[in-house]
Amino acid sequence: MSAVSYAATAVPEVQVQRQTPSGRIAMTLALAGIVAVAVMPWWASTGTIRSILVLCCYIAVAQMWNLLAGYAGLVSVGQQAFMGAAGYALFVLAQTFGINPFLAVFLSLLVPAVLAVPLYLLLHRLDGPYFSIGTWVVAEVFRLVCSNLPIVNAGAGMSLRVMKDYSAFERNVAMSWLCAGMLLLTVGGSYWLLRSRYGLALIAMRDNPVAAASQGVNVAKLRFLIYVASAVGCGLAGAIYFMAQLRITPGSAFDPMWANVAIFIVMVGGIGSIEGVLIGALIFFIADRWFGAYGATYFVVLGLMTLLVALYARTGIWGLISKRWDAPWFPIRRKLVDPNRP
Amino acid sequence: MTAVLSTHGLIARYGDFQALYGVDTELHPGEAVALIGANGAGKSTFLRSIMGLLPVAKEMVRLDGEPVGGTATDRMVQKGIAIVPEGRRLFTGMSVEDNLRVAIDQAARIGAKGGWTLSRLHKLFPILAEKARSQVQSLSGGQQQMVAIGRALLCQPRVLLCDEISLGLAPKVIREIYAALPEIRAAGTAMIVVEQDVGLAQSASDRLYCMLEGRVTLTGKSGDVTREQIGKAYFGASHGVV
Amino acid sequence: MEWFDALVQGILLGGMYAQYALGMALMFGVMRIVNISHGDLVILLSLIGISMATAWGLAPVSVLIILVPLAVLMGWVLQKAVLNRVVGSDPLPSLIATFGLSIALQNLMLQIWSANSRSLPGHGIESQSIEIAGVYVGVLPLIVLAVATALTWGLDIVLKHTRFGRALRAASADVEAASMTGINPRAVYALATAVAVGILGFAAVFQSLRSTVAPADGPAQLIYAFEAVIIGGMGAVWGAFLGSMVLGIAQAIGFRIDPGFGVLAGHLVFLFVLATRPQGLFGKATT
Repeated sequence: MSAVSYAATAVPEVQVQRQTPSGRIAMTLALAGIVAVAVMPWWASTGTIRSILVLCCYIAVAQMWNLLAGYAGLVSVGQQAFMGAAGYALFVLAQTFGINPFLAVFLSLLVPAVLAVPLYLLLHRLDGPYFSIGTWVVAEVFRLVCSNLPIVNAGAGMSLRVMKDYSAFERNVAMSWLCAGMLLLTVGGSYWLLRSRYGLALIAMRDNPVAAASQGVNVAKLRFLIYVASAVGCGLAGAIYFMAQLRITPGSAFDPMWANVAIFIVMVGGIGSIEGVLIGALIFFIADRWFGAYGATYFVVLGLMTLLVALYARTGIWGLISKRWDAPWFPIRRKLVDPNRP
Repeated sequence: MTAVLSTHGLIARYGDFQALYGVDTELHPGEAVALIGANGAGKSTFLRSIMGLLPVAKEMVRLDGEPVGGTATDRMVQKGIAIVPEGRRLFTGMSVEDNLRVAIDQAARIGAKGGWTLSRLHKLFPILAEKARSQVQSLSGGQQQMVAIGRALLCQPRVLLCDEISLGLAPKVIREIYAALPEIRAAGTAMIVVEQDVGLAQSASDRLYCMLEGRVTLTGKSGDVTREQIGKAYFGASHGVV
Repeated sequence: MEWFDALVQGILLGGMYAQYALGMALMFGVMRIVNISHGDLVILLSLIGISMATAWGLAPVSVLIILVPLAVLMGWVLQKAVLNRVVGSDPLPSLIATFGLSIALQNLMLQIWSANSRSLPGHGIESQSIEIAGVYVGVLPLIVLAVATALTWGLDIVLKHTRFGRALRAASADVEAASMTGINPRAVYALATAVAVGILGFAAVFQSLRSTVAPADGPAQLIYAFEAVIIGGMGAVWGAFLGSMVLGIAQAIGFRIDPGFGVLAGHLVFLFVLATRPQGLFGKATT
């Protein structure tokens, strides 16, 4: 390789362009969507609010999985551990200790955050695919511990009766705001992260962890931070989901179905992109409404689709779209533009 | 005389990075050819492309005139080309004998005949008989290199590719290893020897090719080329003589 | 005495787990792949065996004779159709592919066999026991342990002393160097997976004789196999075998303490080993 001397050539005046027309439109739509979610009680029925709440949880959990698998290279099949942990924390704080449930949602996030630290230190010792099964074991441990723990009413589970103190409208308002906040935190937060100086490191890491490390990216630290962040994000989704359900049991709290949902959404939508998560979540949400009644057959198709995507279309739907049209909704690239040249 | 192995406008890339820009070479039966060049000139890439470890077009590599470019590596071995890879790449966790047996097994599987046996190899490198039961990672660098050469020979090749077999070894050990090459050639095996040490390369070969930035910049009889010619070809015209 | 009994029962249970763990250790060793549908394949084979036994009135031995070749074939197809396309340094594609397969298999089995638990009729062998040193030991668990030991021993011999074994060890050490020695990695992989799933044919017969199986049981078997492999360490087959014993003993003792604590005790031993000896109890520290 030959060295080129840059000092000899004049550096042109360039501007770094981050936003694109498609990005501006998408940003406007996304903000409008979040506002619409926040004001749901004024336009939607309680049933619709519940459905949209579930969709929001899908998006949040899938985006957290996407950060883990799509950028940090950590393929977890046990994020339900953190959803259940935060869900249980919420029920214990609000029901057992009488703390305001809407405050308890946020307090409960401390539990996944604190648990994620030692768990990561343990699990990161496992090589590649073994890490994944390790995350599953952790979720199983949580489920079995909750099944035996008297403070969470063991296997019988808990109910959130304190919610009866609030009117249906009050509950709807709180749920809607929590959902809007969750989207802002998980999707907006991811977008912010990817555009920040960490974003370049994350994308470098996604493309080639070894090369990224040699370029000065602290891969180990970044992976750790992503793992903890993802635990908190999943915890928030879990707390909100089980608050809406009003009931939690060890079986529902640590249901591997959530891993299934996250993997399907991200892989079909398109791994390593926020757009993919939104597309995948919408597809899964609609499929679930339309075909959910077919039960086992529906899951056979879902499983086979996941398999086929992994075999033949690893970039998912968004990968196929972005190959044809260069119109990202959430642009993260830096484009150098010379203003003197039209 | 037709070449046993030849390349024709060989182009190879790693993703977006092009490493070879149309390399033409030929190797005749029983001949030893040296390939010299600086780090990053594309010598290892050249050998890897021949072995099917990098995607290349079919017409770019010919074996006995038959186009074989891009054939799977194990099929290339079956067709009679073996490589002593850069960095030796022995099977760690296995004994010296098992490392060699892997090659014997595969040669037996396809019924390859070439006359290389374990006992003949032990005559060439007596230390391998002594260390047969040792784990390969416990051997010295020179001994490991002998295992790597032995493993390649037991594939019964008509063409042997050697990638920097002197790298990181003491001069005495290098002499010992290079002393074995005439014996290998005597068995009728043609060789391409990639080497950084120009003097060593010249003495061990009939002809040589010099590469620079993915292109052949010099070719000729090893005894005829001058230091000036090699210096120019090695570093590019602008750098003059070493 | 009660604890000695638990120890014996744990070792016998370990014999069952070893039959799952061997195949997983083999596949990970050579391809760095974990097949998430590993446990589901056991269940699928079990259910096929039970259906055959009920339909044709077959004895367990006959079921075994049919099931093992079928399992070998399934492994070979799995490798050709799925795993060969996802093997590589990135663990994501293989995990996702086998995860999808696992979901599909579980639900397919649910449709064909319903959620009910079934077992293979053993014609009395499952209830026989003999007394050894004051402890009653089931004849069937003893057979399971003996078969597990024989399989481990046999696999060890094959790996050490056969052409296939050397090729497999070479491919696990350095797959590119193996291909430079004339080995076709895909052929080695296909054989390895065929052997790994073939062993699950044994596991399926014994699992459905010892207890019951239901379509949703697969993930638990996957997790036990995984824990046994990590606890054992050592990479090779005896590590998986000994890890299975440790896991079995942990579960049996945990179960004696409290029936709800059995499986959890196994998980906790796994986490403890991971925290204190990540290379496994019987493994050598690498690097």
